[in-house]
Amino acid sequence: MMRLILNRIGWTIAILFGVSIFSFMLMRALPGDFAQASMGTTSISAEALDSIRHDLGLDQPIWRQYLGWLGHALTGDFGTSFVTKQPVVSELLSRCGVTLELTLIAAVMAVIIGGFTGLAAARLRGPVDWLVRIFNGLSLAIPNFVIGTLIVLLIGLYFPQLAVLNYTPLLTDPVANLSSMLLPALSLALAVSVVISENTRAAILEIAGQDFVMVARAKGLRPRTVLGNYLIRNALTPIITVTGLQIASLLGGSILVETIFAIPGLGQYLYDSIASRDYPVIQAIVLLAAAVVVLVNLLVDIAYARIDARVSYE
Amino acid sequence: MDKREPNDPLFGGASQEEIGALSRRSVLKLGLSAGAFALISPAFAQSSATPKRGGTLTIAADADPIGLDPTTTGAFSSYDFTGLIYTGLLRWNADMKVEPDLALSYENPDPTTYVFKLRQGVKFHNGQDFSAEDVKYTFDRMLDPKTASPSATSYSGVKAITVVDPYTIKFELARSDAAFLSYLATSPNGSIVPKGVTGLDTKPIGTGPFVFDSYTPNQQFTLKANPNYYEEGQPYLDMVVFKFYKDQSTIASALRSKTVDMTWLKDPKVAALMVKTSPDLVSAPGQTSRTFPIWLNMKAKPMSDVNVRRALSLATDRAACLQTVLGGSGKVGATIPESQVGGYDGVGDLPYYKYDPDQAKKLLADAGYPNGIDLGDYLVVAANALDVACAQILQQQWAKAGIKVNIRPMETAPLLAQWTKGDWGTLLSVALSWSPDPDAILQRFVSTGLYGKASGMADTKLDGMIADARAQTDLDKRAAANLEIQKYIADNAYVIEVYQYPLRWEMWWNYVHDYVPLAANIRTFVRTTWLDK
Repeated sequence: MMRLILNRIGWTIAILFGVSIFSFMLMRALPGDFAQASMGTTSISAEALDSIRHDLGLDQPIWRQYLGWLGHALTGDFGTSFVTKQPVVSELLSRCGVTLELTLIAAVMAVIIGGFTGLAAARLRGPVDWLVRIFNGLSLAIPNFVIGTLIVLLIGLYFPQLAVLNYTPLLTDPVANLSSMLLPALSLALAVSVVISENTRAAILEIAGQDFVMVARAKGLRPRTVLGNYLIRNALTPIITVTGLQIASLLGGSILVETIFAIPGLGQYLYDSIASRDYPVIQAIVLLAAAVVVLVNLLVDIAYARIDARVSYE
Repeated sequence: MDKREPNDPLFGGASQEEIGALSRRSVLKLGLSAGAFALISPAFAQSSATPKRGGTLTIAADADPIGLDPTTTGAFSSYDFTGLIYTGLLRWNADMKVEPDLALSYENPDPTTYVFKLRQGVKFHNGQDFSAEDVKYTFDRMLDPKTASPSATSYSGVKAITVVDPYTIKFELARSDAAFLSYLATSPNGSIVPKGVTGLDTKPIGTGPFVFDSYTPNQQFTLKANPNYYEEGQPYLDMVVFKFYKDQSTIASALRSKTVDMTWLKDPKVAALMVKTSPDLVSAPGQTSRTFPIWLNMKAKPMSDVNVRRALSLATDRAACLQTVLGGSGKVGATIPESQVGGYDGVGDLPYYKYDPDQAKKLLADAGYPNGIDLGDYLVVAANALDVACAQILQQQWAKAGIKVNIRPMETAPLLAQWTKGDWGTLLSVALSWSPDPDAILQRFVSTGLYGKASGMADTKLDGMIADARAQTDLDKRAAANLEIQKYIADNAYVIEVYQYPLRWEMWWNYVHDYVPLAANIRTFVRTTWLDK
């Protein structure tokens, strides 16, 4: 087991190393750089542009730029943002927290909405089932950024009192923070809730038709007991699996939703940094994202090996 | 906001003691309904009511600043902040005329010498006294190539800066330069920084009405009133807070919900709609300051052929673009927007401006393309919805004259890179933002400049005309020269200009008083603003 873990950690480091080279090259291969992007249409001489590049070290050969970056990164210094001139790491950490909070709230919402509608559709059938399926179809078809924009416009038009656009940090005012998170979380949660809802519905329907449920009914158990102890408990496994998978898509969706609702999370940070060619920030975010994916996979691998005797990595 | 005649006595005849009136013909016959204008006038008038003190003005901004050192930043989004933190020797007044600011007056003993008398007792935000030494330091630093200041080219004619006494400074120019005063009046080009203070990019220190307090990227930028500001009684506000929203519809909602008191929008149609539904909202388009040009790569065929370029100009129905894209809130455009000296009024006759697809076809046939021509990709900035919309209409108009293009919306940074390097195919559009002086726009056509080289300009006659216009300090004559240049450019179709419009539509709630929007991309009049909530 120890050997397995060490082996995996070795691979993790190699993968992160590769990702860092790849993203470093990729960003610099993109046309347009920070000097150009920051000046916009301001009339500027070619010498001045070159001088800005020189100050940022962008005029050096790319391998030297990379080695310079790597040297600092290994000591935990991911550089200074070209745009804000502030260290990347502290900004990144605070933004991680914001995105994590948004994703968590959205996940809870998605589970509640999806679980409830799925259960209702499966148990009540008839018109309720139809309504839920139409609702699901719509929520799945409309992208989250459209829903987000609609929410912003409609609330702004009809309920201007709801100051939804006032992001407040959690530590400053938890209540204001939560209220500013609710609508963005909702626009994120809808599409995910569909998947949960449909899976819940299917799982409950499938299990409801199985023999052991019929036996339970025949035994004369109360419907509530049958629902709680037999249907839901057995349907839970596939639902949890699906929910877990969907959390990842929440993180991806947060890029646009954060931009629309002006929430200072990781997604908005990445979006802005790419537009302004803020290389140190992009590099740090990509590396962080890669690290999360690799770490999750590592944990899953280890968990499988522990749980399932058939899985062996020797 | 009265209409000024094009031949206003501009600078001429003004006594040298007073700062001459660099009048800009300001005509605000912009298409927003007459109702919108009725709303503007009371807000514009410096109201007789006694200003109330205190309160926080919250402004929604669509972009973060990139650096707060006025000498090194070239980012448009920074000017909003540098305009409140720093001041310069001169400034723009409400009519876009130059007036003294840190200077009390100036003398102009000969066309190439300017002597400024400075205010005494002014302090920087860090307590340091302001004197002529700071002015000299500012410009010496700016003109040092190591600083890489985007403003350096604006002052390339400055030969020597001399401190005469602590409150007198002398500028000697290599040649007569009409643009000099315009740049001095503009933030950040003319902003004075304290001598010997470093790190202004993140800790700005100026002499302006507001002091930097804090900045959280993508969230909030906070300024506090400067208790030692030299204008009696100003500023009235305790604090100014900028909140950042990247999405235009979010900005609109933030204003409507009064999360912010003031903002500007990019789309005239949205602005008009908001005013219609909220009568308490004051909407003020600035003067036209932005043009929408199509830059041509004339280094090779077919754009090197003047007949092809003229055909393109004739095939362009400018009035139709203006109506469809801007709902009429603008004017037909030429090289220089109307808010500048000698700017085009949108009505006067320019060569090859009349929409005539048949004549365009004929010219194309003369050029050797009797069956029409395929110009390939037409690059536009994808992030600017107005540009993309206009490009689509142009595509249809040109098709009628047998000119085919393929619209390619692009991300801003690579498009700018292609523009400055000159490696785009045939057509590319980048709308120009406000420039302190019309010369900055004309410099893009000079054959030895960055942009002139990129687009293949090689017209020494035009180079001479542009240099002469900048040297002309009599503003009447300068306006005439600038009009002549625009005619010449239109005649050769060195660029296809479509329309001109205000850079942004500023809007605020009617409890915000004594704010004046400027054609310039700065909000310096926050210094006179007060709130009555």
